[in-house]
Amino acid sequence: MTRELLLSVRDLKVQFRTDRALVRAVDGVSYDVRAGETLAVVGESGSGKSVTAMSILRLIESQGGSIAGGSILFRGKDLLALSEAEMRHVRGNDIAMIFQEPMTSLNPVYTIGNQISETLRLHRGMSDFEARQEAIRLLELVNMPDPEQRVDGYPHQLSGGMRQRVMIAMALSCQPKLLIADEPTTALDVTVQAQILELMQELQERLGMAILLITHDLGVVATNADEVAVMYAGRIVERASVVELFEAPKHPYTAGLLASLPQLDKRTELIPIAGNVPDASRLPSGCPFHPRCAFRLELCSEVDPPLEPVPGGAARTSACHYVKRHPDAALLPLLAEKRAGKEPA
Amino acid sequence: MKGEPLLAVQGLSKHFPVTRGVLGRQAGSVRAVDGISFELWPGEALGLVGESGCGKTTAGRSLLRLIEPSAGSIRFAGRDLMELSQRELRAVRREMQIIFQDPFSSLNPRMRVRDIVGEALVAHGLVKRRDLDARVAELLEKVGVTSSFASRYPHEFSGGQRQRIGIARAIALNPKFIVCDEAVSALDVSIRAQVINLLMGLRDELGLAYLFISHDLSVVKHICNRVAVMYLGQIVELTDSDELFEKPAHPYTRALLSAIPLPDPKLRQKRKVLSGDVPTPLNPPSGCRFHTRCPAVFERCPKDEPGLVKLGGQHQVSCHHADGLENAADWFAELDRRIREREQLNERERTRLEVPGSSAPVVAASVPEPPEALAPASTAGAVAPLGDAPLVSAALANALVFAGIGLVLTGFWFSGLCLSAGVYWLWVRGQRARPLAMDLALAAALSVALVLGHALGDHAKLARARVELAELAGHVDAFRENTGSDPESLTALGWRLFEAKPDGTLTDPWGRAYALRRSAPGKPGSVTSQGPDPNSPADDLSAPLSAGALER
Repeated sequence: MTRELLLSVRDLKVQFRTDRALVRAVDGVSYDVRAGETLAVVGESGSGKSVTAMSILRLIESQGGSIAGGSILFRGKDLLALSEAEMRHVRGNDIAMIFQEPMTSLNPVYTIGNQISETLRLHRGMSDFEARQEAIRLLELVNMPDPEQRVDGYPHQLSGGMRQRVMIAMALSCQPKLLIADEPTTALDVTVQAQILELMQELQERLGMAILLITHDLGVVATNADEVAVMYAGRIVERASVVELFEAPKHPYTAGLLASLPQLDKRTELIPIAGNVPDASRLPSGCPFHPRCAFRLELCSEVDPPLEPVPGGAARTSACHYVKRHPDAALLPLLAEKRAGKEPA
Repeated sequence: MKGEPLLAVQGLSKHFPVTRGVLGRQAGSVRAVDGISFELWPGEALGLVGESGCGKTTAGRSLLRLIEPSAGSIRFAGRDLMELSQRELRAVRREMQIIFQDPFSSLNPRMRVRDIVGEALVAHGLVKRRDLDARVAELLEKVGVTSSFASRYPHEFSGGQRQRIGIARAIALNPKFIVCDEAVSALDVSIRAQVINLLMGLRDELGLAYLFISHDLSVVKHICNRVAVMYLGQIVELTDSDELFEKPAHPYTRALLSAIPLPDPKLRQKRKVLSGDVPTPLNPPSGCRFHTRCPAVFERCPKDEPGLVKLGGQHQVSCHHADGLENAADWFAELDRRIREREQLNERERTRLEVPGSSAPVVAASVPEPPEALAPASTAGAVAPLGDAPLVSAALANALVFAGIGLVLTGFWFSGLCLSAGVYWLWVRGQRARPLAMDLALAAALSVALVLGHALGDHAKLARARVELAELAGHVDAFRENTGSDPESLTALGWRLFEAKPDGTLTDPWGRAYALRRSAPGKPGSVTSQGPDPNSPADDLSAPLSAGALER
């Protein structure tokens, strides 16, 4: 599998300056996205997954953040070195993004046809007439019912799922090589979520674009992703292919996430992760996960573990002292054992 | 089941009136909850699932009469809640509590945790003031919040902790029944598991009954003994939670289950994706409300509304496919066969209908064709097919262009030109697929109009200059008559009727100053303008002053 390396994020650091402190929202994140594959970035709120995505398009400055280091290579070109004008060309043309809130990402005073064709006119130099035709074709592509009528409709006339379809149509309008989907289905109902997920898969197969899927929902990851990066407190703690990750997680946090999910097919006891997600301005010393970790070693509160290869897959990496010492430990069953052992006490 | 139900709901409905106009005439009603019935036994958790807009939240709130139900009866612990006065209701509410979805907006930001949790205890007079702190501390410890945090404000807590505080508030009065309205939906995965475990622990410890309202089927399955599935204000299926997931009887439930993304990549399957969205409850579909989206719809569905039938004793479902299976021992196999058969039939029908029409629009759209208008413009015959709307806009554009030409002809050549050119440009930009000949013809017409307009415009200016000169001459005459001497300059006349330069000199239609030309003494002189061309004396204009005025 030698697919073209499309996006390569290296050691990305993003900071937010607040009144009280410098918040390192993203601290040394690296990942690669290859053409035609889906990389899912999973994490809980505040883990920095959205910030990473916003940084790729350099939209983070407008949110008050600043990129403090690292590089973002898109087909060998460093996006951080581009001028704002060049960057505008990359946005939409090469990389497109869809957001969580389809309600607020569309302009309520323009028709959806207008909003789709704006991109077409700006980036592909179409006339109004062509842009309208193309907008209808794009709405057909995302399976919008009656695209000829809908193209003249306003966002408030559409349901959440349809608005998300419009967002996807807009994102696809310039045939991007990479689609960044930031929680694309979080605001939607299950049946509509299933429609959108299937649509994204279908479009990926047909158009061959890469997808960077940002989500907190492990179910969505399992259905749509090829590769997974798990983020916690601004860094990647584990990277694996989707099958490997769900079969045998190699980081206590991933294992904890999996164990705290209710299953449909079997009723097992939920094993929650103790404690709360730490505040990004006051991260614990050493490994940021150590206060909540069931496999904590003494070393963990002192030394931040680097992301290192672990056995079990081609590009598997994990940032954990325990896993480094016990590379073959099966964390999920161990977690259940520890829980059972702790219970009577 | 065992003994008396704690809660028995019969035909509960909530219709919100929709009013129109100033007089508030009722134009219809949103049937948010439309005749739901269920029972809840002590210590049991009943799940209420459905998509947004199906009425599950309204159902939960009308149960507690937080929203006044339109119809139905609610028997709680032997009393009919619908017949209670507000005062009596308050007493009963001690037994029934609610936990809300959003832990950020459901706690008053200006109250300390102690007051939030203890408010109800004080209001119902259950605890003496001096015992309050101890009781609140006990409650907080029970939900896993450190009791020393009691004097903090809600904003100092994370979402999970806030939800715990909401739970502490709900259990403060030792209720028998709690409505959990999406109580864990807003929480992160790792925190959600903590709160789920807490809720389940409290149920075992305190013998609570839950109505667990959620859109998340896996959470409901985990917590609940029985599950009711709602669609557009009605319960379409109600049964034991394990049975619901093993033997889903309603096509909607089957679709919901298949839509859940399972956290296991090896179970990736071709999902049965339900098309479309939930219809509006303002105007629900006829017959079975699900028929517009049902993959197993057949002729009867839009006509008759199916009633709830009991399959195998406990499994209630409202679907025409379940007809006649009430007493069948192996009802699921038969029902499953019926639904699958109908689904396949409908699928075949659908593909048969789609193939002859040269649709497959999706495939066509994926390959971006070179846009038509970028093709050589010489293909003059390729007129874009115009529908009704483009025809109207074309007519309007033409009318405006000609109106502009008309303006040019009547002397307002600049505004006319702007109008014509502007409209023409705007319209052309949107209609690139038009033949070149039409463009050329319009451009030619415009240039002719421009030349004509220019010539006619000069004509109009000459006429204006003559009128103005004559008038000015009259004013100079009057000045002489009144003062007996010539004005020093035209400006001295003080007339503001004509266009003036910043320095006050009066100007002609070409922007140049009018001049007062005196002749030899005794001769009357004239008021003059240089005309359209200052260098050619031939086109100069003048108006003679009257000789008589000077002599007098």
